[in-house]
Amino acid sequence: MRTLYLALKYLAILLWSSFVVFPFLWALSTSFKTANGVTSGATYLPWVDYEPSLLGWESLFGGAGGINIFGPYLNSVIVTVSASVVSLVLGTLAAYGLSRFRFRAGFVKNGDITFFFISQRILPPIVLAMPFFLMLQTLGLLDTLPGLVIVYIALLLPIAVWVMVDFFNNVPRELDEMAWLDGCNPIQTFLRVILPNSLPGLVVAGMFCLIFGWNDFFFAFTLTFTNTQLLPVAIVSLNSSVTPWWALSAACLVSVAPLLLLAFLAERFLSRGNLAGAVR
Amino acid sequence: MYRQKYLFLIPGLLTLVAIIVFPLLFTIRVSFSSWDVIQPGLDWIGGENYARLWEDERYWEALLRLAGMAGGTVLVQYVLGFGLALLVWREVLLKRFFRVLFLIPMMTTPVVMSVIWRTIFHESLGPVNDLLQRAGLEALPWISSAGLAFTSVMIVEIWQWTPFMFLLLLAGLLSLPEEPYLAARIDGAGPFRTFFRVTFPRMAAISVGAILIRLIEASKIMETVYVLTSGGPGTATETSSYYIYIRGLRDFQLGYAASLSLIYLIIMIVSLTLIGKGLTRIFVKDQA
Amino acid sequence: MLELEELERSENGTCILGGVTARFAPGKLYAVLGRTGAGKTSLMKAIAGMQALDGGTVRHNGEDWAKRPPWKRAVAMVYQQFINYPHLSALDNVAFPLVRRGLRRREARERARRELERVGLGSMVDRRPSQLSGGQQQRVAIARALVKDAPILLLDEPFVNLDYKLREQFREELVGLLGAETGTVALYATTEPREALQLGDEVLLFHEGRLLEQGEPRALFAAPSTVEAARVLSDPPMNLLPIEVRAGAGNLGSLGAVGEGTRIAELPDGRYHLGLRAGDLTVGGELSGEVVLTEVSGSETITHLDTGDHELVLQEKSVVRHEVGTRVHFQPHWEAALVFGEDGRLLHGRREGGHG
Repeated sequence: MRTLYLALKYLAILLWSSFVVFPFLWALSTSFKTANGVTSGATYLPWVDYEPSLLGWESLFGGAGGINIFGPYLNSVIVTVSASVVSLVLGTLAAYGLSRFRFRAGFVKNGDITFFFISQRILPPIVLAMPFFLMLQTLGLLDTLPGLVIVYIALLLPIAVWVMVDFFNNVPRELDEMAWLDGCNPIQTFLRVILPNSLPGLVVAGMFCLIFGWNDFFFAFTLTFTNTQLLPVAIVSLNSSVTPWWALSAACLVSVAPLLLLAFLAERFLSRGNLAGAVR
Repeated sequence: MYRQKYLFLIPGLLTLVAIIVFPLLFTIRVSFSSWDVIQPGLDWIGGENYARLWEDERYWEALLRLAGMAGGTVLVQYVLGFGLALLVWREVLLKRFFRVLFLIPMMTTPVVMSVIWRTIFHESLGPVNDLLQRAGLEALPWISSAGLAFTSVMIVEIWQWTPFMFLLLLAGLLSLPEEPYLAARIDGAGPFRTFFRVTFPRMAAISVGAILIRLIEASKIMETVYVLTSGGPGTATETSSYYIYIRGLRDFQLGYAASLSLIYLIIMIVSLTLIGKGLTRIFVKDQA
Repeated sequence: MLELEELERSENGTCILGGVTARFAPGKLYAVLGRTGAGKTSLMKAIAGMQALDGGTVRHNGEDWAKRPPWKRAVAMVYQQFINYPHLSALDNVAFPLVRRGLRRREARERARRELERVGLGSMVDRRPSQLSGGQQQRVAIARALVKDAPILLLDEPFVNLDYKLREQFREELVGLLGAETGTVALYATTEPREALQLGDEVLLFHEGRLLEQGEPRALFAAPSTVEAARVLSDPPMNLLPIEVRAGAGNLGSLGAVGEGTRIAELPDGRYHLGLRAGDLTVGGELSGEVVLTEVSGSETITHLDTGDHELVLQEKSVVRHEVGTRVHFQPHWEAALVFGEDGRLLHGRREGGHG
């Protein structure tokens, strides 16, 4: 009975794992194919089903049928990282304020302000895209990196506030009070006592910012044309043209690689139950 | 005494207000204008756009389709996510590895993965039909038939976002106290009874939260659709966001699209609030 | 000199602090006694500037502190939770307030090291709080509070989360450590009457946000001014017996007549309450009651007896086993009883030389 239970359990884990991994393996396999391996139907194993070649990967670096994703890659890194950093700074500050002090403006209290931040996640991108479009046009920032950074801050700030408010609510208030009595004003308290103890929260918030920033397609798509293409836009535009599958697959893998790496690096922070309180 | 408190809150608050609130107010104004590609600019046409959208069947169909798609995927995600969380909650070989592996899909760019999924679902060159045929089954028109295209989009959404559900539910499981399980073991309760008597009631609040969060995100579905099916065949996979996108940023009927998006937003907020209240009543009240 | 005047605070209709007025002189240890939620922590936070107030003033050496934020008040505090800076070593934890005050790091560390040695942690200066036991963590917290030489030291049930034996030891050490601080006003919050009476140069009784009484421990114990104050001071609870006195004597039913040789003989006719502490009943004698409940706490035994028309609490200074349901004989020492009027005010305190 117990053996059967265990067997079923590992079978389930294995099944889901293969479902998760399948698209990556397929893309990896495809990226080493040539026309022979693609146009005559699906093939899977290199050397067995098809003769592997580095054509796909070479094309990323200006080889035959070269597609240039280096520019978009750099753009994506710049926009994602700068928007994440700004959001993390502003969001952490706001979250600390909301968690520790009482604010009141008429009937608006702390809970309402926190809700205002987080509720921005409800707005569908399409609702924001049109006003953003007009706003950036007015500011002359359409199709520029700074324009995208501004928009991404609006996307990521709510996430940072959401994670950090929950994190700070779990840091005992007495720690702040202790620091006050030891002569720190609120800003010094935050910088010298709270911040050095906030790494787990910052890592989780930062990861979420990077994920949602790096993975956005819609705003990058609607607010840029040709000058400042971000990576997802570049890849989707390859998709609609006649790019060979091997080059496309290689590009896709290169595009999702950094966050996969990040996931394994930040693993110990993720499943610690940091988010449990935020959902309640 | 704590005047410095404003230094914490104000920068973030002002930034968000500046970036989001003003454009949103502007959208409300635009929705009362006939702004389009021929005559860009703010005029006043009263509620004409709203009257037009009332008659716009394609809009309401897209909304219904979205409701079905979001509800369906989130339900499947919840069941799968809970199951997966239970699988790697307690001692399992390579626990940490599997926990990260299960999270992987949500870390990937949805459109990029959709590009890969498109090759997977490709009707003559993709592996899905190939495998079906090898198993002696028939190849299926994954993208070109209305029903299957809908299914394909849902499969991709489930692949992408079950991990998020998994993450939230696992976090919830990990924060459960140990004592009730000891008590259940002493009572000799089997795994099923333990689950329904001990685990599930305690996960009710988290479940509601996780389902709501996912519903919010799922109600925005459009990128997968854009890459995988472009709303097709016909309008078989067209969601609200996608339809508004076509009206607004492809046809450039900004005035009309603004009214569409505002009504969409209002319907979303109202229905999500109702769903939230309903779920809380069903799930959470029982245990009191 | 620390002076509190009419401190007021209520939240959602609950009184947190109700018109608290008190004066504290340097060099003395004040024990703040009250049950959980009586306002002890709120009082301390008000002094530290961390409790929002509806009214009242905190004055230190004549200066009104209303506009002075916590980080500019010369206050040190030790909490019941073990609060230290998790990212700093024990040494840097203790040096932290000194560095904040402008001392150079080397000098601060030197003084911190000396302070840690004084609390017995000289060999663990480099450990993080998470690498220390609960007791050691609280030693670090105490060292961090003492190193500042703050004129006001607030100890909020500092030992309540330590185990019984450690608590005793800490209490003794604390007296030694505080002995040197002649210029310091020290407040020590506790829920245990015995601890308050042992430690405090003066005791303040708190109940539901109000300061019932302040005074020297022996005097306070002998003559608490109201029933309420006597209750806060008594652990185990005091036996409170209503009695009607006629011609210098009263009848307590199963406990017999009371009058001669006690204060009751001097009372005019009327209704009164007799307060008899659990320790003022001794085992053996003519009276008896059925054991309802008995518990051993430390080296003492507390037994609840039912005499038919009264339920009495009896305290023995040894570990004894009484079976529930058996009868125990006892002797009340009426001469030690407190006499309260019908309004709950004390009429006669405990006679000197009384039992216990």
